[in-house]
Amino acid sequence: MAIPEREEILVGDAAELVEGKFKIIKQGTLNIGVTRLRDGTIRAVRNRCPHKGAAICKGIIGGTWPPSAPGDLAYDREGEILVCPWHGFEYDLKTGDELYRKVPTRLRFYEVIERERKIYLLVARGAADTQDSDASAA
Amino acid sequence: MSVTSELERGTGSPDVATGIVDCDVHPLLKQGFASLYPYMPLAWRERFERKRAGQAAAGLIMRFAHPNGFIVREDASPRDGEFAGSDPHFLVSDLLDANDIGICALNSLQTGAMCAVLASADESLIIASAANDYYIEEWLPIDRRLRYAIVVPSQDPNASASEIRRVGKHSQICAVAVPPIAIALGNRYWWPIYEAAQELDLPIFLHVTGAEGIYAGAPMPAGGLPDTYIERYVTLSQAAEANLTSLIMNGIFERFPRLRVLFVEYGFVWPLPAMLRMDRLWRGLRHEVPWVKKSPIEYVAEHVWFTTQPIEEPADPRDLERIVKMIGVDNLCFSTDYPHWDNDMPMQSLRMLAPADRDKIMRQNARNVLRLS
Repeated sequence: MAIPEREEILVGDAAELVEGKFKIIKQGTLNIGVTRLRDGTIRAVRNRCPHKGAAICKGIIGGTWPPSAPGDLAYDREGEILVCPWHGFEYDLKTGDELYRKVPTRLRFYEVIERERKIYLLVARGAADTQDSDASAA
Repeated sequence: MSVTSELERGTGSPDVATGIVDCDVHPLLKQGFASLYPYMPLAWRERFERKRAGQAAAGLIMRFAHPNGFIVREDASPRDGEFAGSDPHFLVSDLLDANDIGICALNSLQTGAMCAVLASADESLIIASAANDYYIEEWLPIDRRLRYAIVVPSQDPNASASEIRRVGKHSQICAVAVPPIAIALGNRYWWPIYEAAQELDLPIFLHVTGAEGIYAGAPMPAGGLPDTYIERYVTLSQAAEANLTSLIMNGIFERFPRLRVLFVEYGFVWPLPAMLRMDRLWRGLRHEVPWVKKSPIEYVAEHVWFTTQPIEEPADPRDLERIVKMIGVDNLCFSTDYPHWDNDMPMQSLRMLAPADRDKIMRQNARNVLRLS
């Protein structure tokens, strides 16, 4: 039997995950926020802002005021945008990209699976034991 | 007619096509305020004469402290007793011919200050029109290398727009000089001027009036009223920084997508901290100004130019090269500030740069942004 390259970490019951809020999973050096997006997608995000390292999963999940004509104000994408609690950089929870930036910084996403109404993170085997394990991937 | 033949002689001169472009040259009225009288309606002329306007026009001098007593250079005087900058023929030989300058932009600070600082709003309309007609008729026919930035009465933006449309199509008009008052350039107050400038494809010049920090209503440096001239000079760029930020954050370049703005005689080190800070804060605060659709640094690159004088003098001149690169080699335009004492002359300026970069700053960028030919 082949040794799996990844291991599963239990997040909890699928029903626990609600829109607009992260459940934080800490295991070893891993620190990951898991939430449910409006369309039902489960999103797991490294709890570290690519800008200056804030615990970004404590930020606001909301919408954004997209580029608009001078004097006009629009509002869009409620529930899909994460704002860092420190400097306010906006990140797209669909793609991980910093918004409106030509060369965006990116959130680190993790894969999740749902099995028997429970949610699991899929991380590289041993990732939780390694200091700053996913820095290069982020 | 002699005007036509002069223009024809100037056209096609290799100097116009290839020479250095000087974006900031200050002419003076030959007889001071009285020079404008022939260009005014009679009733206004009589009013100004009755109140001795020619004497009042020197009212700012008490607030200045120039190293040799006056803002203009003694060594640039056409003749004994005449002010430097008051004789176009002398200026052409002393500045243009002597320094390989193919085109210079005449920027009449003197009349701009009369409009913004020394006159009422109604009077400023008369002064601006008279000043523009004076330079168009008495200076521009003399040499094709002379170009002129229209003075507008910034106390009345709608009248300013009319003045831009009245004289802005002249082939030697290269810009609109807006004398700053204490209303930031991003304010909607200025929209009529931007609309007219964009319509005529003329860039905006922003240049100090000399009255900064002197009276309530003048642009004010941060922290309170300065006491001395040296304090005011050092802090002049604060107003430039405030105006650059205001232009960008109010979405002026989205509202007027063909507008071009030159910050003239503020130097070019100050924009750097402003650009870096605008870019960083925009990432967190852009939701407040969503009409700023891209990084403020990109708006600067596309819409804003800085004239070089007064060039700062770090101990290691190579430090300037890095700053030039960070501001943008394409966004700097050479200027002398002739005949003012704090001038930069071409031979000594920016020699630390690579020849191609220096050439852009000395010759090419201004031709592009001022649409010179």
